[in-house]
Amino acid sequence: MDNSQKGGSGIERFAQMNQRSPVKGLSRSPLAVLDKITISGENPVILEEHSLGQLVLRGQPTVLEAALASLRDLTLPVKALTSCEQDYDCIRWLSPDEWLLTLPVEEVFDVEKALRDQTSGHCAIVNVSGGQTVLSMQGVHAIDVLKKSTSYDTDLRNFEVGKVVTTTFAQAQVCLRRVNVAHFELIIRRSFANYLFAWIQDASAEYGFVFNRSDSQA
Amino acid sequence: MSQKYRVGAGRLVDSSQPMTFWFNGRRFTGWQGDTLASALLANGVTLVGRSFKYARPRGIVAAGVEEPNAILQVGVGATTVPNVRATEQPLYEGLVARTTHGWPSVKWDVMSLLGRLAGALMPPGFYYKTFMRPQWLWHSYEKLIRKAAGLGYSPSEPDPDCYDKLNQHCDLLIIGAGPAGLAAALAAYQGGARIILLDENPTPGGWLRCSDDRIDGEPAERWVAKALETLVSAGNVQVLLRTTATGLHDGRFVSAIERQPPSVASAALQTRIKERMHRIRAGQILIATGAHERPLVFANNDVPGCMLAGAVSTYLKGYGVRPGRDLVVGTCTDAAYAAALDWLALGEGSVTVVDARSTVDAKLVSAVKSAGGRCILNAAVIEAKGRTKVSAAVIATLDLVTGIIDSEVETVATDVIATSGGFSPVVHLSAHTGQKPVWRKDIAGFVPCPDHPDVYVAGAAGGDFSLSGALAQGEGEAQRALARSVYRIDLGPDQKGRNVCEEQWPFAIEPLFHVPHVKPTAKAPPQFVDFQLDVTAAAIELATREGFQSVEHVKRYTALGFGTDQGKLSNVNGVAIAAKALNQSIEETGTTMFRPNYTPASFGVMAGRDVGGLFEPKRYTAMQPWHELNGAKFEDVGQWRRPWYFPKDDETLDQAVKRECLAVRQGVGILDASTLGKIDIQGRDARRFLNRIYTNAWLKLPVGKCRYGIMCGEDGMVMDDGVTACLGDQHFLMTTTTGGAAAVLEWLELWHQTEWPDLEVYFNSVTDHWATATLSGPDSLALLKGLTDIDLSPERFQFMEWRQGLVADIPARVFRISFTGELSYEINVNANYGLALWQRLMHAGADFNLTPYGTETMHVLRAEKGFIIVGQDTDGSVTPEDLGMHWALAPRKAFSYLGKRGMAREDCQRLGRKQLVGLTASEETVVLPEGSQIVFSKSTALPANMVGHVTSSYFSPILDRSIALALVAGGHARLGEEVLVSVGKDQWQPAKIVPSVFYDPEGARQHG
Repeated sequence: MDNSQKGGSGIERFAQMNQRSPVKGLSRSPLAVLDKITISGENPVILEEHSLGQLVLRGQPTVLEAALASLRDLTLPVKALTSCEQDYDCIRWLSPDEWLLTLPVEEVFDVEKALRDQTSGHCAIVNVSGGQTVLSMQGVHAIDVLKKSTSYDTDLRNFEVGKVVTTTFAQAQVCLRRVNVAHFELIIRRSFANYLFAWIQDASAEYGFVFNRSDSQA
Repeated sequence: MSQKYRVGAGRLVDSSQPMTFWFNGRRFTGWQGDTLASALLANGVTLVGRSFKYARPRGIVAAGVEEPNAILQVGVGATTVPNVRATEQPLYEGLVARTTHGWPSVKWDVMSLLGRLAGALMPPGFYYKTFMRPQWLWHSYEKLIRKAAGLGYSPSEPDPDCYDKLNQHCDLLIIGAGPAGLAAALAAYQGGARIILLDENPTPGGWLRCSDDRIDGEPAERWVAKALETLVSAGNVQVLLRTTATGLHDGRFVSAIERQPPSVASAALQTRIKERMHRIRAGQILIATGAHERPLVFANNDVPGCMLAGAVSTYLKGYGVRPGRDLVVGTCTDAAYAAALDWLALGEGSVTVVDARSTVDAKLVSAVKSAGGRCILNAAVIEAKGRTKVSAAVIATLDLVTGIIDSEVETVATDVIATSGGFSPVVHLSAHTGQKPVWRKDIAGFVPCPDHPDVYVAGAAGGDFSLSGALAQGEGEAQRALARSVYRIDLGPDQKGRNVCEEQWPFAIEPLFHVPHVKPTAKAPPQFVDFQLDVTAAAIELATREGFQSVEHVKRYTALGFGTDQGKLSNVNGVAIAAKALNQSIEETGTTMFRPNYTPASFGVMAGRDVGGLFEPKRYTAMQPWHELNGAKFEDVGQWRRPWYFPKDDETLDQAVKRECLAVRQGVGILDASTLGKIDIQGRDARRFLNRIYTNAWLKLPVGKCRYGIMCGEDGMVMDDGVTACLGDQHFLMTTTTGGAAAVLEWLELWHQTEWPDLEVYFNSVTDHWATATLSGPDSLALLKGLTDIDLSPERFQFMEWRQGLVADIPARVFRISFTGELSYEINVNANYGLALWQRLMHAGADFNLTPYGTETMHVLRAEKGFIIVGQDTDGSVTPEDLGMHWALAPRKAFSYLGKRGMAREDCQRLGRKQLVGLTASEETVVLPEGSQIVFSKSTALPANMVGHVTSSYFSPILDRSIALALVAGGHARLGEEVLVSVGKDQWQPAKIVPSVFYDPEGARQHG
């Protein structure tokens, strides 16, 4: 399982590790311990958790662009606060030299290796799949829950489909993307997941609330 | 009890929906649409409280937010609310209200006896004066004052209701949905801009709700209804009713509080929101808040039955309530004639209008006369008669120019005296960010400062009290406000000529504030300026005589405008009286500062959802479910919740910790170390960067090895520590303290981005990504051996090395590092596998009596080894040398490291600095209290020089005695000396200074 790149002297430059267990069913996403939860209401807010592979890419666009295009057919979004989607992949601009790539969890290690192999120049590639989780929040009142939680202007005029913003959410942080008019994606840190789940459930209660796990066991 | 003062239907109420409510224990009936105040008046309740200082009987004065007297306690039990203005509280079925003043009861008030004697006892500055002389008496005063004061009580139970906050954004915020606000919104929405229109009332329209005006040939209420319909269906307009803008802050940020329609069944609310705070960030702000009518100041003007003229009209027309039989109107403006005419229209009772002006529009006078009323010009109501209810008005001829009052008086029997001294534009919001309102002599009122960027004013709020002015200005200012945005309004020709209205009464005023009495102010009966805090005209005059010249000082000396009404009725009258007493103009006198909040805000709405379990985020590790299931007690470490100890059966903390400590020393224990900060560092210059950040050497650390490092601030003081592993030649994993993780990442980024951008290195937080289970103890190798493919033989996997492999079928990086001094393996896995790893380790560990331990045991074990905790054994004033960690410094590194110069300063090198040492109490069972001060000898002169303190202190089970770490002046040179540790008042425990490593000083155990 040692796939580290060798430097000129034969010393490994970067440690890489396939972090998936050969045994199925051992992985638990942060909200996996929760059962389906429903608070009745006319137009409930629907929350789902998705287990996705997540890689943080750091570097100048010129270092990463080509590899990303050839490996995943993705255009590196260099414009601030934008994202690019392709099949099951999505890459989000986080800062001028920082992106978050989500992809099927079973492909993370291969992509991490391939990116390392196909890039030259200064960059960092970090698997953060266990450190954060991807939530989707839908429903006509999803935007009201956002209004309760963040001071960022999430109106369609300011926050169009595909836009990504990392901002405060309640007393924590979220990477927020508009998937569709009434469909948002929230990427949150694992250790804050219980707190934010409780917050969203509480804020949604007046509209109704449904929590589903999509595939938290990978 | 029947509603004997209800004389008609009223536009705001629905007589087909009666409602029962209780006031001071008595049952009454009102109608849907009533306010608590209108329902009380309908039932003939005129006495609603006792005044703050003199305990004088008080009644309802106003019909809106400006009410100073009818401040009631509404609701019972956990949901009771103090400080509710009856004029704003909508009636609901089952409402329970009571007066907040009056001890023992509002009708028979002990304080009123004192109050009547008390004019002399409680002059302005009363509180300041009682504080000062003599001070010891204050404690006696205080009891009485506390009993007398207070505007209701807070519930002692937790509030079961739900409060909320919403962040809103708009291009134009329109505050007030009266004629100006509605006209503005009707124009503005057409440009497509995002509009928020808010109003404090349950229905829009402002004063149009009770007027007979016509707009576009229709009754105004029809125009209002159509406007609302248009706006609500527009899609880009948000109409918020029952919503009060309470503050206008910097950056065009407005706080507004929305109240839900009332209901008694708040226990059934559960998910319903009682109040919502709208945090509105607006592109532009249009203030259309209207104006408050101002009462005239005359003798005994606080007797129940003295009201505002406009309020009388509102109660008559809006609620069908006539608050008495006869009416005397005292005025200096045309506006008050409406009250007289509305009253006369009912056909019963006598009406007398007393106008201070000499020339009045003849149409007005003849209208009153032809309806059967009486008009007296050049005169004023100088005094009200009656104690708990007005019985008569005393009228005298007044020369407005000279201010001379004729001594010949006439007394007219009446039970209501309605006055109008003109209108005060509601300038509060416009002044919240510091812009001073400007006096306008022609309208006798302050208007908002005209030079307020991004804030526009329309209608009465700006001093134009006409309907046509409100409509035109609303539209015009909305256009002006949006002219700078992308949403310009271009009103087509078809819209010209709309919003046409006829003025009923043009506004005319000759200013009058304080009506002179035949006696001098101080000798006449009290003339109240501020009803809520009992500030009289005489008090303001006295304050100016005592040397207070600034209106701000007068305010503080007299308490003018200090009440929960924030002086809405009293401000201008008070300023005018002070100006006159100081012989200066009102412009020169100016007004006091207006501050948020415009009306009182509940603590609930300030807190919003950040209450109970959501008060602060609780961060959990991936293993949390196991910890909870297995009875862990938790400790807060920053925002993390970490297992503190794992009690078995009825074990106490001490018992559990003893068991856990011995298990690690003699067998094997397991700790959830996931919370440690972890930073992934990649780049060609990673080593060079670490070499500068840490005090020791990093350039030659081989792949596969780990090293402990100390991070210092530029001042040379220890700021964090931890082990960093070399994962690859250009790849490191840094660990930080649990609490320091975020600060350290910021520190690294700061130095990289600002000082050394040339270094090729990237940092990424992976704290949450890796879950860490630490096996520690002599049996850890045997346990781990059965679970991993990593070669654990001590010569192949040495202390301070890491290896990669499978542990319990899970890919892991295992670090052979130790915070206990025992043979230890820190197993790091992707946090999604954290729980499975822990469960599998516990399962396999059963044969080894694998013992989970928490932070308390971790602390004891590390203290036995003399391992420091940054922030506990250090406090930001401690260098590595003070800690005896010279070995962690590499002063000969080619490039300096952070803190090198700082710790070389003379003060950091002097003798006698506090240094970390061990302490053993002479009594082995005594655990020295952490934080205890240390002295060298009992004969130390007082006050004693503090020579050190205990930083960490525990009972060590393996040593079977207490141990402590301490910072002691010159400690390293004092090994073996005895010191005294304070363990209580005049109690000293002798203790010996020893090396800071108590157990296994050679480190043989961790090296295995």
